[in-house]
Amino acid sequence: MTGFALRRTLQALVVLVGVSVAAFALVHLVPGDPVRLALGTRFDQATYDALRERAGLDQPLITQFFTWFGGAVTGDLGVSFRSGDPVTLLILERLPATVSLAAASILVALLIAVPLGTASALRPRSVLDGAGTVLSQIGISVPEFWMGIMLILVFAGTLGWFPAGGYVPLSEDPAGWLRSLVLPAVTTGLVSGSVLTRFTRSSVLEALSAEHVRTARAKGLGARAVLNWHVLRNALLPLVTVTGVQLAYLLSGVVVVEIVFAWPGLGQLALQSVQSRDYPVLQGAVLLFALVFLVLNLVVDLLYSKLDPRISA
Amino acid sequence: MRRRSVLATLAASPLVVAGCSAGEQVDTGDGDSGGGAGSAFVAAISAQPDQLDPHKTTAYPAFQVLENVYDTLVVPSPDDLSMQPSLATDWETSDDELTWTFTLVEGATFHDGTPFTAEDVVFSYRRIIDQQLANSARFATVADISAPDESTVVMTLTRPTPNLLSRIGAFKGMAIVSKDVDESTLTTQANGTGPFSLQGSSASEISLSRFDDYWGDAPQIGGVTFRFLPEPAAALTALTTDQVQWTDNVPPQRVATLDDDESVELGQVPSVDYWYLAMNCAKAPFDDVAVRRAVAFAVDRPAVTEAAKFDTARPNQTAIPEGSEWYYDYAPFETDVDQARSLLQQAGVQTPLTMGLMVTSEYPETVTAAQVLASQLEPLGITVDIQTEDFATWLDRQGRGDFDAFMLGWLGNIDPADFYEEQHRTDGPNNYQKYSNPVTDDLLDRAAVEPDQGTRKSLYDQAAKQIVDDVSYLYLYNPDAVQVWEQGITGYEVRADKAVNFDTVVLPS
Repeated sequence: MTGFALRRTLQALVVLVGVSVAAFALVHLVPGDPVRLALGTRFDQATYDALRERAGLDQPLITQFFTWFGGAVTGDLGVSFRSGDPVTLLILERLPATVSLAAASILVALLIAVPLGTASALRPRSVLDGAGTVLSQIGISVPEFWMGIMLILVFAGTLGWFPAGGYVPLSEDPAGWLRSLVLPAVTTGLVSGSVLTRFTRSSVLEALSAEHVRTARAKGLGARAVLNWHVLRNALLPLVTVTGVQLAYLLSGVVVVEIVFAWPGLGQLALQSVQSRDYPVLQGAVLLFALVFLVLNLVVDLLYSKLDPRISA
Repeated sequence: MRRRSVLATLAASPLVVAGCSAGEQVDTGDGDSGGGAGSAFVAAISAQPDQLDPHKTTAYPAFQVLENVYDTLVVPSPDDLSMQPSLATDWETSDDELTWTFTLVEGATFHDGTPFTAEDVVFSYRRIIDQQLANSARFATVADISAPDESTVVMTLTRPTPNLLSRIGAFKGMAIVSKDVDESTLTTQANGTGPFSLQGSSASEISLSRFDDYWGDAPQIGGVTFRFLPEPAAALTALTTDQVQWTDNVPPQRVATLDDDESVELGQVPSVDYWYLAMNCAKAPFDDVAVRRAVAFAVDRPAVTEAAKFDTARPNQTAIPEGSEWYYDYAPFETDVDQARSLLQQAGVQTPLTMGLMVTSEYPETVTAAQVLASQLEPLGITVDIQTEDFATWLDRQGRGDFDAFMLGWLGNIDPADFYEEQHRTDGPNNYQKYSNPVTDDLLDRAAVEPDQGTRKSLYDQAAKQIVDDVSYLYLYNPDAVQVWEQGITGYEVRADKAVNFDTVVLPS
């Protein structure tokens, strides 16, 4: 078990170094010039040269890479071209909003997926199963921005129950935080929930047909006990992996939803930095997203090997 | 153009009153306990400012905020955008037009309490010039700036610059900062002499509070919070549910409905912006003026305007909008496809001809306008290949001259030099279309140093005529400035230069 954990952690570190090289290369390969962009349309050669030198963009690419990489290893991700703020600060500033939204969305998703998916699997081809399939199909296919705007128009506009957008820090006003969280979390939660419902259903169905379940039934165990002890425990195991992936996706920022709800999360930050070719911020964000995926994958793997000893073999 | 509804507002629906209003979240935090809910004024703008250093930023969201925090020596008047006293109360020009002496206002202080003096002006202007910051080109003719005493600033010039006031006062990029400032803090903090001081900023909002020692008339409201709401539907919903009191994030197609909505007031005035199409004068066949004129004759401006802006823009064939004192009434291109065809033939152009038209998703109106233009050029045998780029790539290609044609707008122009000089002079820094005509150059050069207003106007009129006839730019329309605010708010005015000043706002009691 420890050997497995060590091996996986080492692998993750190698991947992370690879990602940082790739992130740097990709970001710099994208056409577009941050200095031109910062100056806007009114362009003046002397000003341009001065600004370019100040940002260090006149250095050879390889020098720029090692300057950045050296800093990144020691935890210094540089400063934003756009605002001059340290990248670490910008990311930390947005982390609470992102974590709030990701956690709430996963909660909404699981609250939808587990009961609905299980119920559908227990009565395949019933009315409930059909309704569940249709609903999750809708959840997957409806664009998030449209769903978000509809929720705003109904629940913020007509009913006035929730604010139309914006984020309130938990430390400032817990009730306001919760209220600002509901609509964006429901929007992303419905989408993630739809994916997870389909997954739960097929996973439970599969578990139901397993031989040990038939044995348990043959032993005369009650339906509820069979479900709890022999079906769900096994069926929900794969769900851990999918939930982990969904969480990683949510933590790397759900750009569209964040724009619609004016949610100051990492997705918005990443989008802004792409638009303004803010290389340091973009590199920092990509590195963080990679880290989130790697860590969550690692946690899921380790959890999995704990839950199912066959894995680490 | 201002529309006011006289009917009483029924804005607050029972559910909003029942406790779901965000009133308590939008408190400006200025400690103004007496004002209650009435003291909160929240403005929804569409993006977060990139930074708050007035000399470095070029972004409109930043200026929306900074307009209320910083002052300039002179400032455009809300009525006709002529330059009015601000931190400078008075100015004199020497007989040779090469020395300008400014007298400064008495008793102004910065938000940190230090008094405002002539040294601050010298520091601010020298900072822009010496560090070659974004607006240094505005000081191109300035030889020296000095402060002979605390309340006098003298600027000496290398050549007469009749539009000097517009150069230093037209926008907050020329703001006066304190000479004692730690420059590295200017991107996130602000220390101006304006009516509001910066209170705090986060990734979702920036709050300002009233500066009680303001040298002018102190604002009525306790402060302003700028909230960043990129999605127009969310911004308008926030306005109608009383979470924000003002927004300029208004899609053109909603303007007619908002005009009928009695819970909000719509402000709509013609702006000094203009939108245009430019063809590459350094690339065949667009280097032939006949080809450019053919395109100009084929375009139906009212149709393009309608599609891109609905009823919130005026078609125009020159740059300067009607209503400006510099307006020049000239419109030689009636939509005429036959004329266009014969011009193409005269140029010996083989059709079908493909014209790449570069537009950017940063300004969606260019994408819409391009689609209409494409259909209008089709009968000519010109196939328009619409190339939608993100703005960084767009600017990159523009800078490299890698285009057949592009569309964009120029925002916030006041003086005629802003409209023509950098864009149409041979070697002008923004002459990306590579237009060159000695006649135009000569007219622009003479206009730039002409002190007599009447003669100056006539020179710019002639230059404009030449530019339009040569189709250096194919002018399309001047958009309106459109903003909405809560019914009952008074004292606020939409300005043609789209500067937003909240110091005069009075909330309903």
